[in-house]
Amino acid sequence: MAPVSWRLWAFLLVLVVAYFTLTLALGLGRAAPDLLAVAVLLAARRLPGAGAAAVGFVLGIMRDALSLTAFGASTVALTLVAFLAAKSRELFIGDSLLFIAAYLFVGKWLYDAVFFLLARHEFRESALAFLLIQAPLAAAYAAVTGAVALIFYRMIAADL
Amino acid sequence: MEFFEGNRKGRRRDAAIAGALLLVALFLFLLPGAYQQPVRQVVRSTVLQPFLLVQGTVVERRVRSVDVREIIAQRDSLAVLVMAQATLAEENRRLRALLGLGNRMQAEFVTADLIRVRSPGAESTFLLPVGSEHGVCEGSPVIGDLGLVGVIWEVADRTAMGIDWTHPYFRASAMTATGDVYGIVEARRGEFREEDVMVFRDAPFHSDVQPGTRIQTSGRGAYHPRGIPLGTVVGIEEADTGWRKSYLVRPAMRPEAATHVYVVRCGDAQSPGDLSQLWQAAPQSDPTDTLTARRALEDQTSDAGTQ
Repeated sequence: MAPVSWRLWAFLLVLVVAYFTLTLALGLGRAAPDLLAVAVLLAARRLPGAGAAAVGFVLGIMRDALSLTAFGASTVALTLVAFLAAKSRELFIGDSLLFIAAYLFVGKWLYDAVFFLLARHEFRESALAFLLIQAPLAAAYAAVTGAVALIFYRMIAADL
Repeated sequence: MEFFEGNRKGRRRDAAIAGALLLVALFLFLLPGAYQQPVRQVVRSTVLQPFLLVQGTVVERRVRSVDVREIIAQRDSLAVLVMAQATLAEENRRLRALLGLGNRMQAEFVTADLIRVRSPGAESTFLLPVGSEHGVCEGSPVIGDLGLVGVIWEVADRTAMGIDWTHPYFRASAMTATGDVYGIVEARRGEFREEDVMVFRDAPFHSDVQPGTRIQTSGRGAYHPRGIPLGTVVGIEEADTGWRKSYLVRPAMRPEAATHVYVVRCGDAQSPGDLSQLWQAAPQSDPTDTLTARRALEDQTSDAGTQ
């Protein structure tokens, strides 16, 4: 596995900063795409399982710092999804934009499903409505945004 | 073969590290709130600090852009109120002195701009730029100009975090404004945040609270001072056979509308003070009230002139 370039780390950092700027600094909340999950999933495509899990753990803690009654749920979900995403390379191979978008969609949906299970009391929707309507919509939003961000990244580097 | 073994060993190590991280994450998730608090505070006061500062600035600018007419209306109404009550307060002071009574206990407030946290898992949570240095403590009620907004859950030196009344863990000991019926108020969540209402539950079965009755905090339980408006009864929710009744309550204060709030300082929340007087004579924020307030002020001024 090729080492992760500084450009990729910088790209992931931009995604993380953009996520917290949109959701926290500008107060957009759920209206903003989940760029944190996108960053973790894209990092998992180049990192080993442990590295991906570490990235998921750190970013999960950052997100959980704003949660009073569901602290740790995001950390668990992102760590798990990051590890599974890194392992998925052994099953699925592809670099096309469509493949990456589908990968981001499934990864984000899985993250939402795990988070929903752990922090059920934080949600007002029923499990069915959340998993079949809201989570797929949020996953599609994140996948499209992630794919667009990737197009820009590929203009300057081709390692993702 | 060596390559295969090394690869397998690497994989095992990889899985072991990831598993350990997952266990730590689960451990953090299952920790009691008091132990989670330091981790949250460290992250908030370091990596998230710049984002929180930016949001604080955005909120401050939003508060500053409030319609000046509204502020003039409030100021005028307050002026009328202060003038009307000046003699009453003096009379009260003299009477209490004659009876040998001390001053009535008054709650003290700290004002703050409310910062909403809208990230997933923190929908009903807010941040305040005041903390223990300003006299805020865990359990301090957060009040808006129309009623109770929420309660403080976590306090650092200069920041505090709380939940608003739409949070599933929110509870407030409540009563009707007349003090006839006591119960507990909690949130009843709708499909959307705008649909959230309050429920006045555990009222005695024989009680008959009519729609339109005002519900306020009762002061029981040493959490919220007595007399903070919670809402108005709109109808009965359910009657548990022969045991108790629950009433739907239209909230006095929507958390989305709260930008500038008052936090009851530590110790005052547990005092027996009654805050209902603050809302009985509170100025209206409706700008149309300006004219009425000004006329009343002018009437009083002209009366004083003729005398």
